[in-house]
Order: sequence, then C-alpha cells, then structure tokens
Amino acid sequence: MSSSLPGLDIFKNSYEFRIAQLKEERENGIKVVGTLCLYVPDEIIFAAGADRIVLCGGRADTIPVAEQSLPRNICPLIKSSFGAVVDGCCGGNLACAHVPLVDVVVAEATCDGKKKMYEILPDYLPTYVLDLPQKPGSPEALNYFLSELRKFGKFMEGLTGNVVSDDALKREIRSANETKRLLHRLFGLRRRDPPPIRGSEVLRVMQKQFFLSPDQFRQGVGQLCNEMEHVTPDARTGPRIMISGCPMAAGNTKVPDIIEQKGGVIVVEESCTGTRSFWDLVDEDKDPWTALAERYLEIPCACMTPNDQRVARIVDLAKQYDVHGVVYYTLQFCHAYNIERLRVQRALKKEKIPLLAIESDYGDSDTEQIGIRVDAFLEMIA
Amino acid sequence: MITAGIDAGAATTKALLFRDREIIGYRIGITAFDFPTAARNMFDELLASCDMRREEVGNVYATGYGRNSISFADKSISEITAHTKGVSFLFPEVQGIIDVGGQDSKVIVVEDGRVADFLMNDKCAAGTGKFLEYTAKALEVPINDLGGLALSSNHPADITSMCTVFAESEVISLRARGITKEDIAAGLIASIATRVGVMAKRMGLKEHVAFVGGVAKNGGMKAALEKELGTILYVPSEPQITGALGAAIAAQGNR
Ligand code: SF4
Ligand code: SF4
Repeated sequence: MSSSLPGLDIFKNSYEFRIAQLKEERENGIKVVGTLCLYVPDEIIFAAGADRIVLCGGRADTIPVAEQSLPRNICPLIKSSFGAVVDGCCGGNLACAHVPLVDVVVAEATCDGKKKMYEILPDYLPTYVLDLPQKPGSPEALNYFLSELRKFGKFMEGLTGNVVSDDALKREIRSANETKRLLHRLFGLRRRDPPPIRGSEVLRVMQKQFFLSPDQFRQGVGQLCNEMEHVTPDARTGPRIMISGCPMAAGNTKVPDIIEQKGGVIVVEESCTGTRSFWDLVDEDKDPWTALAERYLEIPCACMTPNDQRVARIVDLAKQYDVHGVVYYTLQFCHAYNIERLRVQRALKKEKIPLLAIESDYGDSDTEQIGIRVDAFLEMIA
Repeated sequence: MITAGIDAGAATTKALLFRDREIIGYRIGITAFDFPTAARNMFDELLASCDMRREEVGNVYATGYGRNSISFADKSISEITAHTKGVSFLFPEVQGIIDVGGQDSKVIVVEDGRVADFLMNDKCAAGTGKFLEYTAKALEVPINDLGGLALSSNHPADITSMCTVFAESEVISLRARGITKEDIAAGLIASIATRVGVMAKRMGLKEHVAFVGGVAKNGGMKAALEKELGTILYVPSEPQITGALGAAIAAQGNR
C-alpha cells in the first residue's frame, strides 16, 4: 500500500535535511523557537523572521531521565518532552539532535502538568510562557488573549531584532492558511470508501507538521494529495474508525498501529496531530492580530472550559467521515481529556455512534490488552 | 453440524462441543504454562469423553486470552463476543453480562443478543479472581470455601484496600485483631462486589444481568453482587463455559 504513495518518503527522509537547515539558519543569525502546543501561533514566529520546531515528545526512552526530576504520575508527553530537553541540554545522546538547536522555548499556560513543568524548564533552556484564558468565547477573553499575543510579538521582536509588521503577519497568515487548505484536501480524500491512505501514514505526516519548514511540509502534502487522487486503494473492508483525544507526538503510533493490525480502517483523527491543527482558518481580511486571537481561541482543546465546540466537532466529524466507531484515546494521567470523555461519549451515544476508550502510555506492556479491546470493539461494530 | 469452541483463558482452558441447538459436552482444565498444549489436551479429552473423532467436528473457533495461539482452530473471536453469544443462547432475555474470571473482569451491555458496549479491567488484580485467590491464602481457607464462610457472617469486616497486596496485609492484621474468618471473608467478597458493581453501574446494567466466569461459582459473591446491584443475577449451571459455548455457536456460522 505505502509503496504506491512515494510522497510519504519525503516525510520519512526529512530529518537530516531539516537539522542541517536549522544549523545553517543559526549560523546566519536566525533564531529558532521550540514549541509544544497548537496555541502558540506559528504566524507570529515566522513574521519575526524566526524559525520554529516542535519539541513534543512521543518517545519512551527519554522518560526515565525526566522521572529523575518529575513525578511519575503525570502524562507521558510531558515527561518525554522534558526528558528530551534535559538530556539534550546535558549532552546526552538519547534525545533528538534538534533540542540543542533551540534558542528559546515558547510555552503556554494550558494543562497543569505542562504549566508546572515549564517552571522548571528555564533551568535548561530560556522559556517564555504565553498565557491563555481558560473560558474562551467572551469578548473579555478575546481581548486578554489579544494582549497576550501582542506581548508575545514584542518578545519575538526583542529576540530577533526584527519588527513584526502587520504586513509580515498577513503574509504569514496567508501562508499558514495555505497549509491548512492543503491539509483539508488531504483529509477530504480520506472520506472515500475505502480511503486512499492509512491512518497511521497520515499520522506520521502530521507529526512532522511543526517539525518541517512550512514550505517543505506543503510540498510533501501537495505531492501526497496528487498521488492519492490517482491511487486505487486495496479493498479495505474493516470498520471505519475515528480517533479522538490526546496528541500523538512523533514516536507514538502505538494505538493506530494496533487498530490497523486488527483490521480497523482509520479515516480521521480529532487531535492536535489531526484536525485540530488545521480545521479552522485565520480570517485574512481582518486586522491580523484580532484574526489570530479569534482563530487560536477556537482550538477545541480539553484545557478549555466548557469545551462544547469540541464535543460538537467530534459528532460532526463522525458523520462527515461516516465512521462506524470512535476510539477515544487518552494519555495516562491527562485529566482534561480523560474527564472530557464522558461528555463526548454521551453526545455520541445520542447519535448511536459507539465509543471505545483507551488510556495508555508510551510503554509496550499494555499492547496485548489494548489489542483485546480493539478486537472486541471491531467485532461489535462490524 | 457439530462445532467446537475453545476458550483459552489465562488460568483455565475450556473446550465445548455443540450440535444444532444443544451442548454435547464440555471440559474444563488448568492452562498451566502453555495455551496450545492445554487446548489440544482439553479438546482430545473432550472428544474421547463424547466418544467422537476429530473428523466428525466441523469448525473449531477459539476465544480467550490465548486464542491466537491455537493452531487447530479455524478462527478466533474475542471473549466479549463469545460470552455474549454463549450467555444469550442460555438466557435470551439477558441485557447485561458480568464476567469475573481469574485474571480479568468484564461488563458487557447486550442488546438483542449482540454486544452494545463493554468495559474491561485487566490491568490490575483488584476486582478479579486473583484478588480472592491471594486474600483467601492470607486467610488460610481454601478459595472454594470463601463464599460459604461469607454467607454466615453477620458483621462483614471493612476491607479498605483495593490493591491485592495491601488487602493481603489487611487480612493478616484483621486476623491478629481477632476478627472471625467469616467476617473477613464477607469483607473480602463485599470489596470485590463493590468494585465490579461500579463497573456494572457505569455501564448502566439494571436487570436481566447474567453473572459468569469462575468467580460466579462463589455463592457469597453472587449474593454480594445482587445486593450491590439490586437485582437477581442469572448464573448458568456451569458459569465457566459461556465463552467456549459462544465460540462453538459462532462456529455454526449463523450470526
Ligand atoms: S492538546 Fe491542548 S495543550 Fe496539548 S498541544 Fe493540543 S492544544 Fe496544546
Ligand atoms: S496530553 Fe493532556 S496532560 Fe499531556 S500535555 Fe497534553 S493536555 Fe497536558
């Protein structure tokens, strides 16, 4: 199957190229920002003439390093990311080569675990924290976030010595929207039955979205879409599955791999490594700061309350993609997404769409147990 | 057509022969270390006891934890599906199933003989047969006597630990304080009934609920769960074979 989509190789083979690119940029005085969340607008970073790279950890091997400092019972994404930074800054060889290339981490006040981890991060890397209102949807919340974005803009100006002009911002908004439209095209093609690409393949692409430069990412996605239009997918007859929940950072493909191995056909992911990153576009006609603030506060993350927009989005996606069932994926100890499960489950139940909840970490010890549940779920919805 | 179902459980292996709408015979034995050998032995013993040859049996379906290692099976199905088919055959009116086995416990919501939803606990010994096995040992009573003992208690002891390891030491300290074996046994059973009861309530089970798995043989456990859920539970005369039965029914080919 994957052999018929050579576009995927662009993503597979991109690591070294990107590292070399970042190194070269730094030699030329370009600043590199590390991010760990969708709420940090790429547009502002690029408008300031900086580059960015995602630091979210999806690998298990950096967790023991993190556990020397952090409690064990927090989400593995936080531990893995922190472990990579600690290891990368202390000359370890576990972490990816990109940690030492980062000038500053731009963090965000989202979940408690990340927030408190960001208080320790400055011991290893300079860290800037973008604040967020937790109850979006009011004019006050929007104004506050707008002021936070402007403050962040000033910070970026100080870091790079460049002015973040409205024109530059508008240019970056158009560029990021272009990426989002391309991803809509990619995801739109997956509505076909059977879909022309595997869910685990799309996930591996999405994991590179904030790692690669926008140009390189778009080039890859564009080529992939062209190939997908012409591919004849092998008959995939299993139930159509939507995954919804926590982000799956690079290195973490455990649950999608199990679902596919058991015969499920993943057609869409409602997550930060799925629809949440690109579904809503930024208004290109408005004042760019306001447009950014509005769009970013619309991200349906479980850190926000109440998160009705996410519940509605999930039901809507389930229908649009004609799914037979939803696998609600959460990382262990992620309270926000774990608790929100119930509201999602109740909303889906009304629509008679079955849900399987899977809570897992980055280890392999529960592979068999997850497999048993997935088997039963697929039989149930078949 | 004659079909067979093999339930390769972590603790016990069950084999069952089925024809049209009746059970021809079944066999239950210890799994020990090796699923394929246990399954093979159980199947051979079953054939011998029913005076049948392998050639007379059509499809063989496997289920249970070791289901994918049974090479002589034609197909495997999940335990959830198997139990639902087996229990619905015995009690067509059933709307929910509680299965407490040696290693895990599950709650299944059944609609018209089909799985509508399910919940499994297999990460932790609490709420499974393992909990009873270990704590019975700490109490120095054979596990099969635990239920009878519990039924004759007037003041069930309060067991607060859900964790099997802590519950064991709790049992020891209760004994040291002179609490009777009956009361401790009742406390242990109430504690797992609460745990399993929460799962059942979470899934919305109310009435027409079947109780299966090895632990369902325990009368004290059945009584405690009935109290917890406020409904009389359906318990098959042999509660351990519903998985194998469901697999054999699935092997008949009619959904
Ligand atoms: S889940 Fe929420 S906090 Fe985590 S990356 Fe996504 S938007 Fe940010
Ligand atoms: S997965 Fe949950 S706990 Fe982990 S970083 Fe994201 S919001 Fe926080």
